[in-house]
Amino acid sequence: MDLALSLVILLLVAFFWYVSTTFEEVSALFDGGIAPEYFPRLMLWIIAILAVLMPFEHAWRVARTGGSGLEEDRKKTVKPIAYITMAVALVIVGAAEWLGTYLTLIVICCTLPALWGERRWLLMIAFGLGFPTAVMVLFTQVFKIYFQPGVLGLSLY
Amino acid sequence: MEPVIEGLSLAFGLENIALVILGVLIGVVVGALPGLSSPLAIALLLPFTVTLAPVSAICMMAALYCAGTFGGSITAILINAPGAPPAVATAFDGYPMAKRGEAGRALGLAAFSSVIGGLLSLVVFIVATPLLAKVAVSFRPQEYFALTVFALSMLASISGRSSLRNLIAGGIGVFIATVGNHLATGIERFTFGIPEMTEGVEFVPVLIGLFAVSEMLTQSQAADNVVERIKSVVVKLPSRADIRLVMPTILRSSGIGTFIGILPAEGSTVAAIMGYNEAKRWSKRKHLFGTGIPEGIAGPEAANNAATGGAMVPTLALGIPGSGTTALILAALITHGFRPGPYLIQETPHFVYAIFGAMAVANIAFLVIGLVGAKLFARITLIPRTFLWPMVFGFSVIGAYSLSASFFDVWVMLVAGIVGFMMRRHGFGAAPLVMGLILGRMLEETFSQSMIVMDLEWWRLFESPIVCLFFGLTALSLGWPAVASWRENRRNRRA
Repeated sequence: MDLALSLVILLLVAFFWYVSTTFEEVSALFDGGIAPEYFPRLMLWIIAILAVLMPFEHAWRVARTGGSGLEEDRKKTVKPIAYITMAVALVIVGAAEWLGTYLTLIVICCTLPALWGERRWLLMIAFGLGFPTAVMVLFTQVFKIYFQPGVLGLSLY
Repeated sequence: MEPVIEGLSLAFGLENIALVILGVLIGVVVGALPGLSSPLAIALLLPFTVTLAPVSAICMMAALYCAGTFGGSITAILINAPGAPPAVATAFDGYPMAKRGEAGRALGLAAFSSVIGGLLSLVVFIVATPLLAKVAVSFRPQEYFALTVFALSMLASISGRSSLRNLIAGGIGVFIATVGNHLATGIERFTFGIPEMTEGVEFVPVLIGLFAVSEMLTQSQAADNVVERIKSVVVKLPSRADIRLVMPTILRSSGIGTFIGILPAEGSTVAAIMGYNEAKRWSKRKHLFGTGIPEGIAGPEAANNAATGGAMVPTLALGIPGSGTTALILAALITHGFRPGPYLIQETPHFVYAIFGAMAVANIAFLVIGLVGAKLFARITLIPRTFLWPMVFGFSVIGAYSLSASFFDVWVMLVAGIVGFMMRRHGFGAAPLVMGLILGRMLEETFSQSMIVMDLEWWRLFESPIVCLFFGLTALSLGWPAVASWRENRRNRRA
């Protein structure tokens, strides 16, 4: 697993290194000899060296202490609900500009509890409407923050 | 004397006191709730404090930091579920004592030890910060560069499963800090043509994502967990006999905690574990540790709260965070337009005294609030997760958006959250990445300035004894985990 992780990091390092070759060129007169890509590349080098060492860390620890402890978190499989929550969050955030902030909050407060198995419907409705309204009133009236009204033009400003 | 009076009058102003108490309440609540933590709360609070006066905002966060560390001990003692990582060691003896029917005594001991630890570390904070700043003001870019490298190298030894992964996460944080316009030439770097990225990646949405959203994704898998009901608890202040028994432990742990706090990157969790271990090592009744003895509570509690004052020293004097939470306070300082580091104390000394005053008030306030409301705070764990975490996500969206009224920041938050969730699963911590992100700009700036000053002859770095000292400490901190593991292994083999 660490080998795969290490390869992913190295691929990312290679990608960003390539991107750094596309930076505009500047005269040394302006950059004082430290070109814009110099420092990011230095960091990419360091990350790459550490990533190369990563697959050996597990083996080194096992050899020394009989266990690395690194596998504990990975042994637990990620439950599908985490990926579903991730997907729902992506959809909600994707639609947030269109929905507007207030409606986005209502959608979050109605969707996520239902998704996670909450079935006390009255409580869910009260929460789904009460929490977003309280938050919006607080932030628009007290903190004077402007929120996007969205497709329904909902705003408490 | 004038800055002291000005600072303290700011701290003790009515509005400030109200905000500090609000910070304490939020801190104790988030500290008590497993999964929620003070870094998460500060990350969520940060965008909203922009509308407050800078001193009030930072004081509120400092109060939240102190109280959050104590809050974790309530659930550690009552239900054996530490609300925050620094309270892990408190559960070792706190929970057995509570099971014996002495929950009130355990909570009283925890509150008392926390307050003494917190107040003693504040004395060190107020004495050491100006002194350290006075020394640091004479630092040249190369010395600052070496100091920042040292701070980042300390990531190798902070808590977590792997030093190597902490360093990689720190390196990624520094790399992310290079996104945006290059300071000297204005050339765009890694912006991929996105206009919102030309000024660099905003700290706040990344912090919210890493701490709040990634935790929400983790908690989504445990939404049906049922938390044990809390039995009625009457909190008692420690008796004279208890105080006499635990005082040496408190004093020792306060020293340890403050010292650990001052070290860059090391935080309350390391301090608490060391406080517990040292309490056990010095005790005449080592065999009773783990069965519910007062020293087992006083040791970690005094140490973890002492670390909060200690961690503020490098944060304010050098602009180098002393812990994950102070990294967020540093981000807040930058967001409020301050330039953290020695000039902060030189130019606005009253500001440091105001924070000192606020932290002192916070320590007293959480003693009172903790003693009176422990039972109530413990009941907060009964809030169903199915409602709690959607609330956190809702606040995250609002927080990320409101900073610059941009949905791009909400995307940054969400991506940071998903990446943080994946990273955590593979042993990479959020705190090292945040430290790297916050120190990244300073590291590049001081590196470039040093190179220009030294005509690109990097070996001239070693002409400065201060640079040599910091590089020596860097080598020590990078090598220490390997040495410690080798020593432990040898000890185990002998045993």
